[in-house]
Amino acid sequence: MAKEIFIGEIVSNEEIQKEFFLMKVKLDLSFDDPQPGQFIMIRIAGLNDPFLSRPISIYSFSRGKNYCTIELLYRVAGKGTRVLAGLIKSSQVEINGPLGGSFEIKADKKQIIFIAGGIGIAPLSLLAKQLYRSGCSSKESMSFYLGAKTADAIVGLDKLQKLCYNINVRTDDGSFGRKGLVTEAFQKDMKKYSATDTMIYACGPKAMVKALSKILTGTKFHCQASLEERMACGTGACVGCAVGIKDNKGNLTYKRVCADGPVFDIRQIVWE
Amino acid sequence: MKKNVNLAVAIGSLKIKNPVMTASGTFGYGEEYAGYVDLNKLGAIVVKGLSLKPRLGNPPPRIMETAGGMLNAVGLQNIGVEAFIKEKLPYLKNFDVAVIANIYGETYAEYSKVAARLSSVKGLHALEVNVSCPNVQKGGLSFGCDPRAAAEVTRRVKGETSLPVIVKLTPNVTDIAVIAAAVEKAGADAVSLINTLTGMSVDLKTRTPHLKNITGGLSGPAIKPVALRMVWQVVQRVSIPVIGIGGIMTPEDALEFLIAGAKAVQIGTANFINPRATMDVIDGITNYLMENKIRDIKDVIGTLRT
Repeated sequence: MAKEIFIGEIVSNEEIQKEFFLMKVKLDLSFDDPQPGQFIMIRIAGLNDPFLSRPISIYSFSRGKNYCTIELLYRVAGKGTRVLAGLIKSSQVEINGPLGGSFEIKADKKQIIFIAGGIGIAPLSLLAKQLYRSGCSSKESMSFYLGAKTADAIVGLDKLQKLCYNINVRTDDGSFGRKGLVTEAFQKDMKKYSATDTMIYACGPKAMVKALSKILTGTKFHCQASLEERMACGTGACVGCAVGIKDNKGNLTYKRVCADGPVFDIRQIVWE
Repeated sequence: MKKNVNLAVAIGSLKIKNPVMTASGTFGYGEEYAGYVDLNKLGAIVVKGLSLKPRLGNPPPRIMETAGGMLNAVGLQNIGVEAFIKEKLPYLKNFDVAVIANIYGETYAEYSKVAARLSSVKGLHALEVNVSCPNVQKGGLSFGCDPRAAAEVTRRVKGETSLPVIVKLTPNVTDIAVIAAAVEKAGADAVSLINTLTGMSVDLKTRTPHLKNITGGLSGPAIKPVALRMVWQVVQRVSIPVIGIGGIMTPEDALEFLIAGAKAVQIGTANFINPRATMDVIDGITNYLMENKIRDIKDVIGTLRT
């Protein structure tokens, strides 16, 4: 299938909270409908510093009559996102995507649990929306556990509240929701859920996913986690975004977060 | 319009329709970019480096962005020569494009075996020998850093194949022209240069290297002037064709290498940020010829005035 690099036009790029931005980009209709968990590579044409494109997961998507719009929720984490944050309305960006695989939707699971750390809310929000819209899950059957360092790093809650009734927030310093780790909040509730009837989707910092992986060891919960890694190409060619994954025989292999992921079965991830 | 210019070049007995190839390790096995570019339009595809056995590669993090480029320490992760022949080569045979297998080994015997195996199948047009990897039998010093070892690898590979043999040189040496001359004498049909320059980057917060491997290979536009200088030095020293590699992003970059004497070029890191970089370079070279009323790319190659 023919793929292209899209020239996107920025509709808005607002700082919704300190260091957190919401960018809306207008794209040609030929942009494929993204699946939850997929990402785009974004860069400013012609720039040599920062040199590489940045991978950002898709927060929302809409298809209009004349164009598509994607929303990117991102945190200023370094040079690349700093430059993106400085872009004003009508600026052009190069977009490659949608890229990567997506979360697998299990229609037979009655209970859906989302566990997000900080900006990890972005792909899970798109997933919650799709599960709700498609009628797979009701607002009552979806529980969202959201964690961040401080209240300043809790973003996207307003949108989520329209999709899930049950939202648990944790911050490291207790400045929003209860004090503690999001994984601990889930662990406390774990007994409430039937492992075989529950599907867990997770996205967040490595430490969070690792902690969750420990909690789930020895249980029957099925969990898919979306991972982040520095990327160069986003298409599988450079093999730079490697993550250790157990193969069928239990041996270590390196998979590409971009092309083989970014969503993996949490049990297959090898923690170093 | 475009029919008026001739872009075809010859790398020894390998005839290609234009001088633009993909650099090994930046274009996968072709499939990764087939959606973005018409593979038939490429001069050649150089596939990701192949070893005798599959190789796990280095633990992450493997890459880091730097000013005008990037460092990588992928560690030559690859599926191995057998899986390549079975799973990847059949796909590439669907295209009317020269396919060059990039090979490497940790011992002379490994180079020989990979070369022999690849020469026993159809669908390959040349071998590119990566001599930048460590020689296990010689305490890990790269084959490409020692003119005798580089020559020996070349002789071994030549002894196993009738395909044209291109030796890809490392820039991490005192005088790259000495190595080029040594592999030419050993029978190489062409040389390609440069491979990445060894570099490093440090995280200030943790005071640890950004790469798990500590050091990595620098590529991207940052290395272009160094690559160009080395190509020019080697062109003066050898009479076999030279393929220029290193930081080529635009048609203008490619033309600089051709003028300096490279018979062809390879596009590497540029593919990562612009999957259509090879097509842009081919189109741009064509336009340059037309604008300057040059009928044949051969009238550009090696025309540097000093």
